Amino acid sequence: MKSKFGSIYFGIFGIVVLAFGIAEFIATGIGGYTGRWLDLSGTFVIWRGIILFFAGLFYLSSIKKFTEIHQLAKSVMASIMIWIVAGVEIFAKIASSIPGGEEGGWFIPPTEELTEIWIPPYIPALYLLPFSLMITYYIYTEKEEKK
Amino acid sequence: MLNVDERWNLIDKIAKKTVKFGGYKATLKDVLGELTVKPWTGIPFAIAVIYGFWGFFCEFAGTLFTDGFMCKIFDEHWLPWLQSVFPGGLGNWFYALMVDAGHMENGVLVASDNCFEAFGVLTSGLFVPFGVVLWAVLAFYLIFALLEDVGYLPRLAVLVDTLLHKIGLHGYAIVPTFLGLGCNIPGVSATRVLETKKQRFLMLTLLGVFVPCGAQIGIMQELIPDMIGWVFLSLAIGYLGFGYVLSKIVPGKSPEILIDVPPYQMPTWRNIRRKVWLRTSRFLLVAVPFVIIGCFIVGIMYLTGAMDGLAWALGPFLTRWWGVPSATVAPLIAGFLRKDLAVGMLGGIEMSRYQLFTSVVLLSIYFPCLATFAVMLKEENWKQFLGTIGFLMAMVFIYGGALHLIGILFGGYK
Repeated sequence: MKSKFGSIYFGIFGIVVLAFGIAEFIATGIGGYTGRWLDLSGTFVIWRGIILFFAGLFYLSSIKKFTEIHQLAKSVMASIMIWIVAGVEIFAKIASSIPGGEEGGWFIPPTEELTEIWIPPYIPALYLLPFSLMITYYIYTEKEEKK
Repeated sequence: MLNVDERWNLIDKIAKKTVKFGGYKATLKDVLGELTVKPWTGIPFAIAVIYGFWGFFCEFAGTLFTDGFMCKIFDEHWLPWLQSVFPGGLGNWFYALMVDAGHMENGVLVASDNCFEAFGVLTSGLFVPFGVVLWAVLAFYLIFALLEDVGYLPRLAVLVDTLLHKIGLHGYAIVPTFLGLGCNIPGVSATRVLETKKQRFLMLTLLGVFVPCGAQIGIMQELIPDMIGWVFLSLAIGYLGFGYVLSKIVPGKSPEILIDVPPYQMPTWRNIRRKVWLRTSRFLLVAVPFVIIGCFIVGIMYLTGAMDGLAWALGPFLTRWWGVPSATVAPLIAGFLRKDLAVGMLGGIEMSRYQLFTSVVLLSIYFPCLATFAVMLKEENWKQFLGTIGFLMAMVFIYGGALHLIGILFGGYK
């Protein structure tokens, strides 16, 4: 049952991750895209695309016998890749929010600057982050079974 | 002395006698360990790790410390304060040497508004090591220690083993290469992990030329953030291309590798802290005096007119063969003392973006800094050392010319 749910969940999630990876590739080709909610621009957009593309492939290749350790490991690896990309983005936002910025004092930029840092548009990995955390449940279960 | 085949046979024999084979259920850590060394899964994962490494490096060193606090401290407080209290004022030789040489604007000497351009011992001499480099090196060694302690670095060595064999090295050459990205000096010392003289010679040469140190990367990130990918690509092509040529012409053996790959584990904060402190403090002890001496020597050369003389003498070569302005002679001289200082000096020279890119690449490859030179001399005998120097000179001559040619062909000077 757990395996079936995992297969379906990470199958769908894998397709979404893969699609975001391809979207970042396309965005690289057209010189970047920034919408109301989604940001597919920046110097490293192609690298983010590559990482998400392969993460999506890893998820999809893990759906058969999902709870088998070798298959599960691929999903864990894909999730770690998403965590790295999202982690860097979150850290960048935190790092920008500590010093006062060009117009501000020593610490914490003015409210407008601060809002601009934290409100959308976000890169795809930030939207994918909460959904990828589902893997922690399977890691925990695997650990418990081992015990 | 056993050769490689004999060693493997011996290992087989010992294993047959000592190892008992039975059922073993792999853990998640084991399988992750396997996946990170297999090319199809390992390479995308390595890209993600390097992305994380670079992202943290830029944000921690660049956004948070250098841009966030240090530029403010040095440019808005330290420099104006020194400009107002230091005796002499603009145009005075001692003031120029210690605080601000100024620059000409429409025939008038004007004061600098940032520590990058001031080029005094007390301004650029302190801003470069403490305002920029310290944070870059700290960020680099923090992540490096983390990867080391988690157990990812040996896996990266296994992953790149095949590639590095093509240039006569083996996977463990990734350790001096990575360490060199922090500071070339520990990188040079780490070449001891390579077994043969040939491998060590190859590694030392490639390290001295194509591996920029963390300090230099930090300054590049400040100066040309949008072109840094191209700089790295040029250096990687040089590393692999010239490595391949060297491995064919240098006599000697390139044996196989036996690496002990530890299981993945949680790093301990105490270990990380110790490693980062040890490496960063050692780096500062070496770097700070050289940056200050560098500023002093370059300042003296400007004041005595020696720099103009050199620029005049080397000008035709620099402009015609490398396609960079003759004024880059000053950074090239400073680069012998500290590369980071030299890259910072490029910011004050008027040139096109392609010329700036070429100058940064050339500064990276043209000579290792003096401190690295000293350690290289310790690690190599005189014959090898002279061989390395000869090769460096030939390489920078060819590579600089090739970059100029690419610029002409692809319209880089428009």
